[in-house]
Amino acid sequence: MEGWVIAIIKVVFIWVWVLLIATVMTWVERRGAAMMQDRLGPNRAGPFGLFQPLADGIKLFTKEEVLPKKAHKVLWNLGPLLFALPAFSAYAVVPFGDKIILGGKEIILQVSDVNIGFLYVLAIGSLAVYGIVLGGWGSNNKFSILGGLRSTAQLISYEVPLGLALLAVVFVYGSFSLRDIALAQQGTFLGFLPNWGVFKQPLGFILYMVAIYAEANRVPFDLPEAESEIVAGYHTEYGSMELGLYLFGEYVNLVTLSTLVVVLYFGAWHIPYIDISKFLGPVSWGIVSFLILYLKVAFFLWLFVWVRWTIPRFRYDQVMGLGWKALIPLALFNLFITALFIQLSA
Amino acid sequence: MDWYFWIFAVIAVSAALFTVATREALSSAMGLLTVFIAHAALYLHLHAPLVAIFQVSIYAGAILVLIVFVIMLLMAPEERAGVIQANVSFRSFGTLLGLCLIGLVAVGVKGIAVLIARRSLPAGFGDPSVLGNLLFRRYLLHFEVMSVLLLVALIGAIYLCKNRAWKHKERV
Repeated sequence: MEGWVIAIIKVVFIWVWVLLIATVMTWVERRGAAMMQDRLGPNRAGPFGLFQPLADGIKLFTKEEVLPKKAHKVLWNLGPLLFALPAFSAYAVVPFGDKIILGGKEIILQVSDVNIGFLYVLAIGSLAVYGIVLGGWGSNNKFSILGGLRSTAQLISYEVPLGLALLAVVFVYGSFSLRDIALAQQGTFLGFLPNWGVFKQPLGFILYMVAIYAEANRVPFDLPEAESEIVAGYHTEYGSMELGLYLFGEYVNLVTLSTLVVVLYFGAWHIPYIDISKFLGPVSWGIVSFLILYLKVAFFLWLFVWVRWTIPRFRYDQVMGLGWKALIPLALFNLFITALFIQLSA
Repeated sequence: MDWYFWIFAVIAVSAALFTVATREALSSAMGLLTVFIAHAALYLHLHAPLVAIFQVSIYAGAILVLIVFVIMLLMAPEERAGVIQANVSFRSFGTLLGLCLIGLVAVGVKGIAVLIARRSLPAGFGDPSVLGNLLFRRYLLHFEVMSVLLLVALIGAIYLCKNRAWKHKERV
């Protein structure tokens, strides 16, 4: 019984937390864009315009839902739901801190530490494409269909290097459990380098970073919604909160992917050279590990905004060429080198 | 009564019926997606989480995405698959295949008493490392033969397509 209560509290907590970050991200994105373009951005609602996401949310909720005359009713309505659902459920196996001891009970800061956590995230992530496909097809609009088409091709192409890069991490740490991988990144190797994934898998890290930008449909891989070519891609016809679900699901995806980068490659809640857990009590360490993790996540979330206003969008053939001719061979090479190294050093 | 099994079994079978009965290609694909996910849920119930995950990530996440890609590339949203479904030879061939499948299942039913008998699971059942050990130690030859087979199919497909594309180019 007690286990159930704790599990439900964890689920509600992380859900609210991810929603909160995603909400703040919409503000960060607009203010960040404004900063890079030397203008102010939204600054009317609340201090520094911080209530702008709230205002946007109210606007989206109160808008009328318009169903295009020729749209396929069922598919049209399923689209945003199927897009948001995987985004929200992927977080179930991602750790959000080390552990906390409350009332003599040790609680792991992770909804569920399953030994196939890793593959679960990959599987759920690969389902997000159906939301886009249904939205594009259900709209019965040529721009929407083109957006959906591009999205499927892009996802198929970039899932391979993504999976291969992650597989190399599994080789190094010998576990599919995200918590085990996070715990294994404490301490140093070769005397001075932190035990982080990024130092053990530098090439894998680069491949992973490129692939997640494509997975999240972010610039420079935002071809499914390239506004200069196909209006808004798969969500051209959507309005109201259905559009809201698409936009919001994308930010939730960003949070999940950024957390994964930190957990797999940047030492999760560890700080190099110092083991803070020795200096802190069990409760405060739980909170501090959570904060450290999300401080790192914040950097990668900012990186998404940074890249968006720095690098122009690729051409379609460049996206496909990069995926198949550069990333996949490199990912295979990385896997081979990692396996060889482990075999020789064992 | 095993409710978990019955719920997902009913979902899987009705979604499969919908997949073959509907005239809209993408709706049919979504029916197939439901079948895959219901199967994954059943695998979970059978203490095989790894198989369940592969079911989702490979069948639902890769193979079906390719099918959807082809549908989107070659069809229009208002197009119906009636022509294929009305084709008599397709229908009769499909019936024949379906009957063969039912026959296979019937043969399998013979040993069902052994299968449904309750027994304790071996240690580490369904664990990725146990599965990996089985694949790469005990069944290594089978595994490699399968991978070579897939490679041959891949190369063959590329060769056939390329050949046709070259011929097409010459004609143009």
